[in-house]
Amino acid sequence: MWQALHEELAPLGLSVVTVALDFDPAKARPWIDVAAPTHPSLIDSEHRVDELFGISNVPMAVWIDETGTLVRPAEGAAIQVSPLRSMEVPADLPERMRQVLTEMKNFPDTAEAYRAAIVDWANRGAESPYALTPEEVIERSQPRSADHSRAAACFELGHHLHLQGDHDAAVAWWKEAHALFPENWTYKRQAWTLESTPEGEDSDKAQEVQDVYGTSWSDEFLRLGGGAAYVIAPDL
Amino acid sequence: MLLTELTMPAVDFEAATGWAAKPEGMCKGAVCVPAPGAVGGDGTIDVTAVAARLGMALVEDVHHNVWALGPESGGRALTTAVAPELELPDADGNPFKLSAMHGRKVLLVAWASW
Repeated sequence: MWQALHEELAPLGLSVVTVALDFDPAKARPWIDVAAPTHPSLIDSEHRVDELFGISNVPMAVWIDETGTLVRPAEGAAIQVSPLRSMEVPADLPERMRQVLTEMKNFPDTAEAYRAAIVDWANRGAESPYALTPEEVIERSQPRSADHSRAAACFELGHHLHLQGDHDAAVAWWKEAHALFPENWTYKRQAWTLESTPEGEDSDKAQEVQDVYGTSWSDEFLRLGGGAAYVIAPDL
Repeated sequence: MLLTELTMPAVDFEAATGWAAKPEGMCKGAVCVPAPGAVGGDGTIDVTAVAARLGMALVEDVHHNVWALGPESGGRALTTAVAPELELPDADGNPFKLSAMHGRKVLLVAWASW
């Protein structure tokens, strides 16, 4: 998907740079091999882009112009309409699953407009109405509270201790990060998938982690406001 | 940023956080925050003092003798629209600097296997 966009827009001077938020590069590797990117495809095992740009879920993106200036802050970066939006939710599913699937239909409907905005920017550069001024970029970047700063520090401590082999200590710090910044899904999904992925398999996405974290992806998805709240929709 | 002591050279602090020690205080982009006493005459940063001024959480794991310093807070995620330098490896471990893309537009997309 990103490779196709890169090929389309590279002649206009735009490059896609993908950044995988994965502790373990080996988990990202199979996806990268399939995509066969000709653009830079990087691994951010420390989730540094969370701090640097305000990334809090995936996919999210920032736009950077030729001078190294941000012209759009971190925002949801879907460029394909989610099939979940138009899915008929079968009536005979368990109630819980119906709730989750019904909420997924509320993912923001911005994929086509966002993709078109990228193409417009590639063509028109600073003349594109989607390229914001530095003041607008800062103002539209996500709020950062003292708790968010503390969550970043806790998440980093957890990663450090995880690498040191002290997983229990890591989980304690990650739980604190999750409590301080519940809307940051990268902190949660990254930590949870370590518990719910069987050895040697692809990263689990369902993330039923009741035994360790007392929650699951679907619990948190519903608790925090469902599909509309899950994505920071680009304001185009 | 992980720390094992709470002082560090100002130049290292700037490389890690984007905040530079200047006569008017700690500065990033167009923003300068007065930080009296935070920088010693030898250019050493008192991390505790700077963290308090900039709203950076300083969290200690007492069992492992390590601190982590969070980003500045109290405003927005971005203090400046100048993209920070970012060096990350590709899947083969080769380092790549974001600044190598100067002269091109960049769509920087975060994704994950999970």
